[in-house]
Amino acid sequence: MKQKIILIVDDEPDVISYLSAILDEDDYGIHTADNAEDGLKRARELQPDLICLDIMMPQESGLSLYTKLRQDKRLTTTPVIIISGIESQQEFDFRRYVTDKNIPPPDRYIEKPIDVYEFVSVVDALTTSEGNESAGKRRQQGEIQ
Amino acid sequence: MTKRKSNNGTELSDWFYRELFQQVPLNVAIIDKDYNIIKANDNFSDYFGNWKGQKCYKVYKNLDYPCVGCNARLTFEDGKVRVSDESGVDQHGKQAHYVVHLAPLRKRANSPVEYIVEMSRDVIETKNWQAEYQLLFERVPCYITVIDRNYKIIRANENFRDNFGDVVGRQCYEVYKKRKTRCPNCPARRTFRDGRVHHSDQVGIKKGGEKAHYLLTTAPLGRDTENIAHVIEISTDISHTKQLEMEIIEAERHAAVGQTVAGLAHSIKNILMGLEGGMYIVGKGLSKDDKEMLDQGWDMLKRNLNKTTSLVRDFLSFSKGRLPNLVMSDPNLLVGEIIQLYKEIAKQVGITLIAELDKKITNVPLDPSGIHTCLTNLVSNAIDACQMSDDREGIVQIKTADKKGVLSFTISDNGTGMDTEVKRKVFTTFFTTKGNQGTGLGLLTTRKIVKEHGGRISVHSKPGEGSYFTMAFPKKRLHALYEETGGEIAKRTN
Repeated sequence: MKQKIILIVDDEPDVISYLSAILDEDDYGIHTADNAEDGLKRARELQPDLICLDIMMPQESGLSLYTKLRQDKRLTTTPVIIISGIESQQEFDFRRYVTDKNIPPPDRYIEKPIDVYEFVSVVDALTTSEGNESAGKRRQQGEIQ
Repeated sequence: MTKRKSNNGTELSDWFYRELFQQVPLNVAIIDKDYNIIKANDNFSDYFGNWKGQKCYKVYKNLDYPCVGCNARLTFEDGKVRVSDESGVDQHGKQAHYVVHLAPLRKRANSPVEYIVEMSRDVIETKNWQAEYQLLFERVPCYITVIDRNYKIIRANENFRDNFGDVVGRQCYEVYKKRKTRCPNCPARRTFRDGRVHHSDQVGIKKGGEKAHYLLTTAPLGRDTENIAHVIEISTDISHTKQLEMEIIEAERHAAVGQTVAGLAHSIKNILMGLEGGMYIVGKGLSKDDKEMLDQGWDMLKRNLNKTTSLVRDFLSFSKGRLPNLVMSDPNLLVGEIIQLYKEIAKQVGITLIAELDKKITNVPLDPSGIHTCLTNLVSNAIDACQMSDDREGIVQIKTADKKGVLSFTISDNGTGMDTEVKRKVFTTFFTTKGNQGTGLGLLTTRKIVKEHGGRISVHSKPGEGSYFTMAFPKKRLHALYEETGGEIAKRTN
C-alpha cells in the first residue's frame, strides 16, 4: 500500500515534535513546515493525504493558508485538521469566516492540548478507509490511554 | 402770509410747521379738553383711520366712554408730560400696541393747558420680538441663569426652574450644588474678572436630590468687558451621556478581563501541549530505550517548564500595582549591566550589541530592578527581530541621552521591523509575534514600569528596516516621585 503523506504546519517546534512522534508509530511519511508560506509551498510539492494546520502563526495565519489551500485546484479536497490552542471564540470566528466566504469547512477541529487517541483516530479516519483500525491496535497495546 | 421768527432769528412760514406736523414719523393728534380730536397728521389717519369729529377714546380704543385712568385728563390737570404703553385697535379693527407721548399745549407759559398733543408709535413688532425672545429663553433645551456680582440668580429659564426649583433671588452655588459657600474654581468668577467666556464640566444636585452632570459656559452680559454687572450661565445636561460613558467603560473592563483570561488560557494550553509532548516522547524513549528520544523529550519538558516560570513571573510583575522603588542610579551603569548580560548571547547568534552612552548624564532616581526588566525585554526583543531577518548582519544599539530635562533610553535594531497592525498591537496583552517563544507580556510590563516612573514609551518601525523603542523620563517627575515615595527619608538615613 502506498505510504500516506501527512503535512504538519505549526510555528511551535514542540508541537511539531509531539505530533511527529505520535504519527511516527504508523507508517506515515511526515513532513513539516513552521510557517504558512512554507506550508503552502510544501503542500503544492507533496500533494499530501492530510494537512494538520495551526491557526495562530506569526506573519501569515492558518486561516489565510486554509483559504489558499481550498482555492488551489489540486489541494481543494485534501483533508485538513485544524489543531489550535485558541479559545472557542476564535474557532467560532474561523467557522464564520469560512461560511461567509463560502469556503468548504475543514474536516476536523482539534483543540490543544490534544487527546492522543482522538488525534490518531481522526488521522486514520481521514487517511484510510479502514478508519480507526490502527488507533484501535495501539490502544490494545496500551500505548494510548 | 404769517411770518414767525425762530430763536436764531430765521423767519419761518406756516407751511414749514404744517410740513413738520405731517412729516414727523409718529402718529400725531391734538385733542381738546373734551377729548375731541381737533387735528391729526396723515400718519395718524393711516394707522387709526377716520378721526374727524370723534373722541380720542373712540378712535384709539373703540370705546364709548373715556379710558379708566386717562393720562390726558391728568396732563390737562397738572400740565406734565406723560409717556405710557397702550393697547388699542387700528383702523382695521386689529389689536394695536403703541407708546404714547403726551405733551401739554399752552398759549403762554403758566396759562392753563388748552390742548394736548398725543404722539404715538407702533410697537407691535417690538412686542412680538420680545415675546419670541422670552419664548426662546424659556423653552431652549438647556439650563440658563443670569447672576449678579453677588452670585445671586436674577433670572432662570423654565428648564432650569423645572429641574432646580424656584430659584430667583437665591445664590447660584446653593441652587446648583446645595453649597453654602462659593464653588472652588468658579467659572462665573473668572468671567466677572476677565470678561471672557469660560467652559467647565460640573456636577450638581437637582431639586429631587439626583446628580446632574452638565457642561457649563459662562459669558459676560453686556458689551463692556470691564465692570461686568451680570454673567449668563448656560449649561447642557450630559447626565445621560455620562451614564452611557460609564457603561461603555464597564463593558470595556469586562472585555479586557475576558481577553486576559482567554489569552492566559491560550498560553497555558500551548505550554501544556509542550509538556504533554515532552512526556510522550520521554515515555517512548524509555519503552524503546532510545537515548536520543529521551534527550529530545527531556529538553521539551525543561523548555516548557521554563516557559511556565516566565509566564507566571511576567504575569505577576504585570499585575503588581506598586510604586517604583527609586534610588539614585547611574543610567549608563544600568545599560552597562545589560550589555554584559546579552553580549555573549547576541554574539552566538551573530548579532552585534553596542552602547552609545551620553557621558554627561548624572545620577537620577530610578528603580534599578524595574529599568533592568525594561531594558532586558527591549534588548531581547531587538535580538529576536534581528534573528528573524536574514538579509544583513544584525546590530542592536542601546543609547542614553539627557536632553531638555528628559532622560531617555533608545533601543534600536536593524531587524524585521513591524507593520502598522503589529505596531498597534505590541502593547496589548498576550500579543506575540514569536510563536512559542514569547508570553506576550514583555512590552506590556515594560510600558507599565515606564508609566510608574512617570515616563512614556514610544515605538517607531518600518517593515524590513528595523525598529526603535524609546523610554523617556522627565527628570522633574522622577525627582518629584522620589520625594513622594520617601526617597528623601531613605537618603537621609543612609
